[in-house]
Amino acid sequence: MSAPKAGEAVQKQIQQDWLNREYIEVITISIKKITDFLNSFDLSCRSKLAGLNEKLTILERKIDYLEACVTKGETLT
Amino acid sequence: MAGTDRVSMNDALSNVDVLDELPLPDEQPCIEAQPCSVVYQANFDTNFEDRNGFVTGIAKYIEEATVHANLNELLEEGQEHAVMLYTWRCCSRAIPQPKSNEQPNRVEIYEKTVEVLAPEVNKLLNFMYFQRKAIERFSKEVRRLCHTEKRKDFVSEAYLLTLGKFINMFAVLDELKNMKSSVKNDYSTYRRAAQFLKVMSDSQTLQESQNLSMFLATQNKIRDTVKENLEKITGYEELLADVVNISVQMFESKMYLTPSEKHMLVKVMGFGLFLMDSELCNINKLDQKKKLRIDRIDRIFKNLEVVPLFGDMQIAPFNYIKRSKHFDANKWPLSSGTAPSPQADLMVHLPQIREDHVKYISELARYSNEVTTTYKECGTDDENKETAELALRGLQLLSEWTSVVTELYSWKLLHPTDHHQNKECPKEAEEYERATRYNYTEEEKFALIEVIAMIKGLQVLMARMETVFTDAIRRNIYAELQEFAQVGLREPLRKATKNKKDLIRSIIMSVRETCADWNRGVEHLQDPALKGKKDPDGGYNFKVPRRNVGPSSTQLYMVRTMLESLTADKSGGKRTLRKDIDGQYLVAIDNFHKISFYWNYLLSFSDSLQNCCDLSQLWYREFYLEMTMGRKINKCNVRHQHNDECNDLITMEKRIQFPIDMSMPWILTDHILKTKEPSMMEYVLYPLDLYNDSALYALTKFRKQFLYDEVEAEVNLCFDQFVYKLSEQIFGYYKQLAASIFLDKRFRVECAAIGAYLLPYPRANRYETLLKQRHVQLLGRSIDLNKLITQRINADMQKSLDFAISRFEAGDVTNVMELEGLLEVNRLCHKLLSKWLALDDFDSMYREANHNVLAPYGRVTLHVFWELNFDFLPNYVYNAATNRFVRYRGISFANQVHRDRAPQMSHAYTWGSKPLNLAYSTQYSQYNGFVGPQHFHTMCKLLGYQGIAVVMEELLKIVKSLIQGNLLQFTKTLMSAMPKICKLPRYDYGSPGVLAFYHAQLNDILQYPDAKTELFHNFREFGNTIIFCLLMEQALSQEEVCDLLQAAPFQNILPRPYCKEGEKLEVKQKRLEAKYAALQIVPNIEKLGTAKQAMISKEGDLLTRERLCCGLSIFEVVLNRLKSFLDDPVWVGPPPANGVMNIDECVEFHRLWSALQFVYCVPVSENEYTVEEMFGEGLNWAGCTMIVLLGQQRRFEALDFCYHILRVQRVDSKDEKVKGIGLKRMCDRIRRFQVLNSQIFAILNKFLKSGENDELSVEHVRCFPPPIHPSLNPQQHYHAPEHLRQC
Repeated sequence: MSAPKAGEAVQKQIQQDWLNREYIEVITISIKKITDFLNSFDLSCRSKLAGLNEKLTILERKIDYLEACVTKGETLT
Repeated sequence: MAGTDRVSMNDALSNVDVLDELPLPDEQPCIEAQPCSVVYQANFDTNFEDRNGFVTGIAKYIEEATVHANLNELLEEGQEHAVMLYTWRCCSRAIPQPKSNEQPNRVEIYEKTVEVLAPEVNKLLNFMYFQRKAIERFSKEVRRLCHTEKRKDFVSEAYLLTLGKFINMFAVLDELKNMKSSVKNDYSTYRRAAQFLKVMSDSQTLQESQNLSMFLATQNKIRDTVKENLEKITGYEELLADVVNISVQMFESKMYLTPSEKHMLVKVMGFGLFLMDSELCNINKLDQKKKLRIDRIDRIFKNLEVVPLFGDMQIAPFNYIKRSKHFDANKWPLSSGTAPSPQADLMVHLPQIREDHVKYISELARYSNEVTTTYKECGTDDENKETAELALRGLQLLSEWTSVVTELYSWKLLHPTDHHQNKECPKEAEEYERATRYNYTEEEKFALIEVIAMIKGLQVLMARMETVFTDAIRRNIYAELQEFAQVGLREPLRKATKNKKDLIRSIIMSVRETCADWNRGVEHLQDPALKGKKDPDGGYNFKVPRRNVGPSSTQLYMVRTMLESLTADKSGGKRTLRKDIDGQYLVAIDNFHKISFYWNYLLSFSDSLQNCCDLSQLWYREFYLEMTMGRKINKCNVRHQHNDECNDLITMEKRIQFPIDMSMPWILTDHILKTKEPSMMEYVLYPLDLYNDSALYALTKFRKQFLYDEVEAEVNLCFDQFVYKLSEQIFGYYKQLAASIFLDKRFRVECAAIGAYLLPYPRANRYETLLKQRHVQLLGRSIDLNKLITQRINADMQKSLDFAISRFEAGDVTNVMELEGLLEVNRLCHKLLSKWLALDDFDSMYREANHNVLAPYGRVTLHVFWELNFDFLPNYVYNAATNRFVRYRGISFANQVHRDRAPQMSHAYTWGSKPLNLAYSTQYSQYNGFVGPQHFHTMCKLLGYQGIAVVMEELLKIVKSLIQGNLLQFTKTLMSAMPKICKLPRYDYGSPGVLAFYHAQLNDILQYPDAKTELFHNFREFGNTIIFCLLMEQALSQEEVCDLLQAAPFQNILPRPYCKEGEKLEVKQKRLEAKYAALQIVPNIEKLGTAKQAMISKEGDLLTRERLCCGLSIFEVVLNRLKSFLDDPVWVGPPPANGVMNIDECVEFHRLWSALQFVYCVPVSENEYTVEEMFGEGLNWAGCTMIVLLGQQRRFEALDFCYHILRVQRVDSKDEKVKGIGLKRMCDRIRRFQVLNSQIFAILNKFLKSGENDELSVEHVRCFPPPIHPSLNPQQHYHAPEHLRQC
C-alpha cells in the first residue's frame, strides 16, 4: 500500500512541478512581452526624437542665418 | 500607481497584454539586423541540477545525469581555457629586457616582470592542471565504458555525444597550444626573471615550472597524452567507433542545429579516427568489419574540407587521417582527390539558398499576417504543430546559411590567394590580406553579402515573431509529450504487461511517471492498459490536459534516454529490448525520439536563433595576428631585381591590428559602396552588423575588454568612412540626376544621333531607404544616419555653390551663363534631396556662398562689376546688327585681367560626372566670346534690383571720371586744334571740293595721333556703358513682364476669353473669375488672415501691379545723371555772338564731334582695322548721347561736315580720289553712320522726352526768320534738314 502511495506523492510533485513551471513560463512570457514593448518603444521614440531633433536643427540653423543677417559681425547674446 | 497598492496577478498580466495595443509607429524601413536595446533570454537549462526530483526514472540514467553534469562543467572549463589561449596576446614584447648583467635596474626589471606576468602564468598552470584532469577523467570514463560487462550494455546517444565533445575539446586545446608561440615566449620571459630572483625556491615549484615549460614546449602534447592513455584501455577503439558512428549518423540526418555543432561532429570524426588508429588497431580493418563506414566519412570530409577550429583557426579534418599510422589513400578516394570541394564555391549554393529564402519568407509572411489579423487565445494542436515546425525550419535554414558562409570563409582562410592567381594581389601582400582581401571575387563578395543579408533579415523577422513562435512551440511540445506518454505508450505498456516483459514495462512506466502530467494529478489506476487488459468496447477515454510549458531539460533527457534504451539496437551482442516490442510501436517511439531531439533547441528559441545567426568569427583574427608577431615587415617594394642592398630597406612596423581593408565586414561594406550596385545598396548595413556580432562575442563569450575595444575602434573608423563615402556618393548621384534632367533634351537626341557618347540618366539607386534610416544600431549606439548624411550633404551643397561662384570668378563676364546653369542644377539637386533630407534653405545657402549675408553685395555682383570695369568696357565692341558685344580681336586695349584660378574639384561639385561636365562645358562654350541679350537676362536674374543698381551706380562713377577727366582734357586740346570758323562750302565746289576743304580744315584733327589710340577708346568705353545700361533695362523689363504674367492669375487678371456668337463676354469673364477665385491672394488673405497679413498682401499686390505701370525707367535716370556730368563750359562754348546760335564757329561739342566723325568716316585701306571693328557702335553712342544731352542734336544734324559732303555728293554723284580718300566710299560710310546716328538720337529722345509732347514743345520754340544772305541772294546756302531726312 505504501508503494503506490509513494508513487502517488511523486506523481503529485511532478504535476506540481509542471504547474510551477507553467507559472514561471507565464511570468517569463510577460517579461518577454515587456522587453519587446520596450524595444519597440525605444525604436519609436528614437524615430520621433530624430524627427524632433531635425526640426530643432533646422530652426537653429535658420536662427544662425538670421542672426548673421541682422547683425554686422557681432553675435547677439 | 502608489507603491503600496497591491496588483493582482491577473491585472498585471492583462496590463502586459495591453502593451500590445499601444501604437508605436516607426516609419523607417527595416534594412538592418535585429535592433534591440534590451535583450531578454530566459535560460531554463539546469544542467541536471534537478535530477534527483525524477526519482521515478531509472536509477542508472539519473547516475548518468550526474556524470553528464560533471562532464559538462569540465567542457565549460575547457572552453574558458581555449578562450584564454586564443585571446592570449604577447606580453613579453612589451616588457623591457635587461641588456646586460651590469645593468643597475635589472633586479627591478625582473621584479616587475614577475609581478606582471605572475597572474598570466597562473592561468597557464591552471590550464596544465586542467588538461591533466580532463584527460584523466576522459580516460576514466572510457575505461568504465569499455569494461567487458559494460560493453554489453547500451551507451546513450547523449553520453556518446558528450564523449565526442571531449574529443573535440582536446583537439581544439592542443591546436591552440601549438599555435600560440607567444604563450611560450611569455612563459620563458617569466621563468628567466623568476629564476634570477629565485622566486621558485622549493623543489616542488621548480618541478612544476619545469613541467609547465615542457608542456608548453612539446607540440601535440595533449593529443599524444590522450592517445597514450587510451591505448592502455582494451577495446577503447570500439567505443570510439561508436562515438564516430554517432557523429556520422547525426551529421547525415542533420541532428544538430547550430553550425558549431555541425563542425564539432566533423572534427570528432577526424580526431576520433586519428585516436583509434594505432599499433593495435587499424581503422581500415574496422571498416572491413563494418564497424566503421569510411566511405561515408570520406564523402563528409570531401564536402567539408575545412572546418573552423576556433576563431580564425581552421582545420582540415582529413589531415588527421593522413597523419595516422595506417593511412591508405585508396580508402579515401574523394578526400585524396584534387577535385575542389563544394565548400569553396558559394555560387553553387546560392540558387538553392535564394529559393529556400523566398519560399520560407513568403510562408512566414502569410503566417505572420494571419497571426496579426486573427486573434486567438491559443491555436489547435495541429496549428501549434505547424507553427513549431515552421520555427524549426527557420532555425535550420538560418543555421544552414550561416554554415555556408563560415565554411566558405574557413576554406578561404586555409587557401589564401597569391599574385599568380589574383592579378590584383601585390607580390608583397600580407598573409592575412591574401586570405581575406584578395581572396574573394566580386561575385563571391556579392553572394556573401546577399547570404548575410538573408540571414540577418530572416533573423529579424523570426525574432519579431518570437512570442508567437515560443507560445506555439511550448504548447506543441507539451501536447506531443503528454499525448505520447499518456496515450501513445498505453499500447506498448499493455503488451509488455500482458507478455510479462517486466523490464520493458518498468521502463515505460518510468517514462510515464517521469513526465506525465495527469489530468487529475495521478495516473488512472483503473486504466485497463496498466493491467494488460483490453479496453472496454466504447474505448477507454480520458482527457489529456494542455499547458503552455515544455518539459524541463533533465526531464526531457530522462524520457529520451529511457526510450532510447528501449529501441537501441546495438548493445554489445546482448539481446536487445527492441526485439520484444512490436514494429509499429518501435516506429512510434523512434519517431518521438527523433522529433524530441530538437525540443531543447526550440524551447530555448531566442538563444538558438542567435546561435544560428552568429557570424562573429568573420572578424576575429588572433591566429593571423599571432603570426605577424606584432609587426609588419616592409620589404623593398621597388620593382626591380632585388639584391643585397634591398635587405637594408627592410623595415619593421609595429602592428597590433590589421588595417580595415583586410577586415571582412569592411571589405563587404566597402564592396557595395565601391560598386554602387543598386540591388545591393539596401544591404549595406548588414555587413556592418557583423561588428555587432563580434562585439557581442567579445563581451559575452571571450569576455575580453581589449577585443571589444578593438572592434569598437574599427567600427569608429569604418563608420566614419561609411558615412563619408555614402554621402559623397548620394550627393554625386543626385547631382548627376539633376544635371541629366536639366540637360537639354534635344541636345541629348542630337548627341545620340551623331553617335557621341553621352551617359544616359544615372542608374536609379535605392538611396531613399538608406536616407530614411534614423536609428541604426551599432555596438549599442543608436545612430541617426539621416542626420549624419544631412550634415555632410549640406556641406557638399554649400561647397558646390561656392565652387560654382569660384568658377565664375575665374572667368570673364560671359561665364555668367554657366553660373546660372550651375545654380539651377544645384537648385534642382537641392530640391530632389530635400525630399529626404532636411537641408538648409537653398536661397540662404546661395547667399552664404555668395558672401551676401553680412555684406550688401555678393561675390557675383562684385565680380560682374569687376569684369565690366576691367574687361568688358575696355575690350568689347558693340554691334547693333547682332545686338551683341564682341571681344575686340586685335590688340588688347587694357592690361591683361588677372583672375584667380578656380580650385580643382571633383565632378560631383560641378555637373555630377565627367561626361556631363563635358556636355555642359560644350554647351556653355557657345556663350563665350560675346555678351548678348542672354547674358543680360542672366545678369538681371543673378544681380537683382540691388545688384543692378550698384553696378550702374559704380559704372556712372567711372563714366563721370572719364567724362570729366580724359574726355574733357581731350576736348579742350582738340577744340584748340579746331579751326575757329568752318563754314559749309557751297554746292558749287562740288563734292570733291567740299571734301578737300574739310580735309584741309580738319587736318590737325586728322593728324592728331591719340585720336584712334586713346580718345576713341575713351568714347567707346563711355558708349559701351550707355548701351550696357540700356540693354540691362531691356532685359529687366522682359523679366518683369514675365513676372507680371505669372502673377496675373493670382491678381485676378485673366486673359480675355474667346466668345462664340451669342455668348456674352461679361458672363464668361465672371465665370472664369469665380473659377479661379481660390487663387486670388488679396481677397483670400483678407478673408482668412489677420489684418496685418492682409495689409502686407495688399502692399505686395500693389507693388507687383504698379512696378511697370508708372513708367519708371532706369535709362532715363542714367541719361539725366550723365547730363549732370557735362557741366564744363567747354562742352557748350561761349554764347553765340549772333545771340541765336553758332553756325560756323567751332566752339560747341558737336563741332568737335563732326570733326571726329569726319575722321572715322575716312575709309581705311584693306589691311587696316576698320573703325567699326575697333570701336563698334559704342563710339557713335557716346557722341550722340553727349550731343543730345548737351541739346546740340539739331545743330549737329544741320551743320555736320560729313552730312554736308554727303548732301553735296548726292547732288553731283561724283566719285574721285581726294587726298587719297575715295569720295564715294567715304559717302557710303557717312550715309551709314548718319542712319545709325539718327537711330541713336531717336532712342535717346524717346527716353529723354518721354514726358513731353511734341506739339507742346513746338509752341515754346521761338521762331526766327531765316537769315538773309548779305548779297541778298535768294539761294539758300544750306539744305533744309527735312530734305536731308528724305534723301
